[in-house]
Amino acid sequence: MSRIGEATLSDGRKVPYVITDNPPRGGMKYTYFAPDKSYVVQFFNEPNKIDRNMSARLEAIIGRYNPTIPESKGGAIGSDERLAKYFSGRFCWPTDLVVAPEFGIVSPAYPKSFFFGDNASQFLDLKGKDKKSNWFTSGNRRFLNKSELGDFRSMIQMSLLLSRSIRRLHQAGLAHSDLSNNNVLIDPKTGNCVVIDIDSLVVPGLFPPEVAGTRGYIAPEVLSTMELDRSDPRRMIPSSVTDLHALAVLIYEYLFCRHPLMGPKIFSSESAEKDDYLGLGPMALFIENPDDTSNRPSSLKTTIKDLGPILEKLFLRAFVDGLHNPPLRPSAMEWERGLVRTWDLLHKCSNPSCEKKWFVLYDTDNPVCPFCGTRISDRNIVRFELNTEVRGHSGEWRKYSELDVVHNTPLFKWHMQGNVFADEKADKTLQAYVCCHNGEWFLINRNAEGMLSPQGNPVPAGKAIRIADGTVFRASRSDRGMLIKVKII
Amino acid sequence: MSEFSRRLPVYLLLDVSGSMQGDPIEAVRHGVRALVSELRGDPQALETAYLSVITFNSSARQVTPLTELMLFKEPQLSAGGATALGAALRLLSDCIRSEVRKSTETQKGDWRPLVFILTDGAPTDDWREAAAMLKSTKPANIIACAAGAYADTTVLKEITECVLMMNTLSAGDLAQFFAWVSSSVKMSSKSLDAKPGANIELPPPPQGFVIVP
Repeated sequence: MSRIGEATLSDGRKVPYVITDNPPRGGMKYTYFAPDKSYVVQFFNEPNKIDRNMSARLEAIIGRYNPTIPESKGGAIGSDERLAKYFSGRFCWPTDLVVAPEFGIVSPAYPKSFFFGDNASQFLDLKGKDKKSNWFTSGNRRFLNKSELGDFRSMIQMSLLLSRSIRRLHQAGLAHSDLSNNNVLIDPKTGNCVVIDIDSLVVPGLFPPEVAGTRGYIAPEVLSTMELDRSDPRRMIPSSVTDLHALAVLIYEYLFCRHPLMGPKIFSSESAEKDDYLGLGPMALFIENPDDTSNRPSSLKTTIKDLGPILEKLFLRAFVDGLHNPPLRPSAMEWERGLVRTWDLLHKCSNPSCEKKWFVLYDTDNPVCPFCGTRISDRNIVRFELNTEVRGHSGEWRKYSELDVVHNTPLFKWHMQGNVFADEKADKTLQAYVCCHNGEWFLINRNAEGMLSPQGNPVPAGKAIRIADGTVFRASRSDRGMLIKVKII
Repeated sequence: MSEFSRRLPVYLLLDVSGSMQGDPIEAVRHGVRALVSELRGDPQALETAYLSVITFNSSARQVTPLTELMLFKEPQLSAGGATALGAALRLLSDCIRSEVRKSTETQKGDWRPLVFILTDGAPTDDWREAAAMLKSTKPANIIACAAGAYADTTVLKEITECVLMMNTLSAGDLAQFFAWVSSSVKMSSKSLDAKPGANIELPPPPQGFVIVP
């Protein structure tokens, strides 16, 4: 039988919640839902462990470090209505402290798209269950209907959104400290993800939370030193660099549906526990380590090479150079930017039954989908090479990134100007788009200012540039405007 | 399950002696059903947990061998007879020996099994040796639950340190027990903490259950 409880918030407001017999319980807290399920009230498993450090930390998280409310309403510095709204979709950020009947927090309920609906599986009754990532990235995939699985492009998009969310935390000096498959819900169908369990963040200047982390996502140095006393300087505790390990693991799992460290290598025959400890901790070895293949599964079909050089390098830094050397791990911003650039190289596979539907077309000499082996043969590959002017060297241009172009490919400000990044602040107004008409290619200006034709004449909005192999033009004549070189292969 | 992931073997040792007849055995059937359905809904448990059921009355029988959750078929449970706990413990040891993969130079071993014992009475056979064996060799993390007024907790304490007591054999208490087993399995399959030798973490027992010191 359920009863209605009442939580008193720190500002004196009272909110109702439904008390159930076996509330869902995580490692730290258990959860009751609002009568209308629009928010949750969470209490701690060990109320006697709540101290001033913890309440001070939660106050800071809910208030001055909160990117989901504008600065004018007590949220994070620099946060305005638009950014607050954007990050409300990226995080399930706690909104209030509960002071009675006992200490707890109120958080928004997860958005609906992160719960399975009616037709998620033919084998399991998943309706209403939350979309933890290992439904999608493990063998459990086989129980889900195809319509739930998304494709490679939606997995890249989720990786990008997650990197952006983590970059936002780190930018404020925060660390999640327990980033894992359980704490990021994903919806591959729409390419969306949301970071949850925000209450154990590491907040600058305040005592860090006592979280152990989750198996498979704990950074090797944290696991290796877990047994040491908390006052021992050798003991490594969760921080932004340990988040960066977990972030790389999650991205790797989204893109490959396998774990980057769990391979065939046996680290100890003494016990499963010892073997696991060594293989995820002090002796952790990337399954795709190019120099030591002892943990490499024989069955690897697609590898980090198939993601193109940008992501390949990031993964090598995360899991080879930085695996046991935390400062070398790529930052969340590097992941975000690398994924944005990789997004521009995504190419739709021409095989209609290709499971992944998209792939990274980086090798234009050998344009083959790595997932199904289909070769692009039915049409030309059109490339925009985006160049920025080297500062202080007028007329000297350097390749900045590339864009794989098909009919209707949109161009945004970040394709036109070298100083605009495709982040949450970017202007998403369409600047121009590509059009293929009777076998001829055009770039049509919609809103871009200062676009120049190959001959250097202004191309106002509404006008087009005809493009062919070798065409070179200024996307924008402004200071940091890109020079676009067209390649048709 | 990926080819390199380990299994978490879970054994349920269920007392189906005469005193469980009627409502209690019905509640146990219901509990097993709810447990399986609950675990199938948890992606980590679904990936790692394997379930076996051993029942005991005048003798012990493995009614379901260690099976992955998706293939688990509900066993036919009926109550009647004595309480051969000793036989059940010996059978458990045999099953662990034959079903649980050991860590070797060439094989990734399974996780240390989780065993839940549910009994409502005192054993009627010779159990001491089997209990002492389990307690000393520790092939598994064993949680024993004494159900109702007649269960003998001192016996269970000879098997494992971790003994719970519930006061009644009511359907409600049994349902809570199975719900707690399910959250314990879920929690273990998540936090299979790679700290070798560390104690496993279990969720707090349900209301009305007492941890026997």
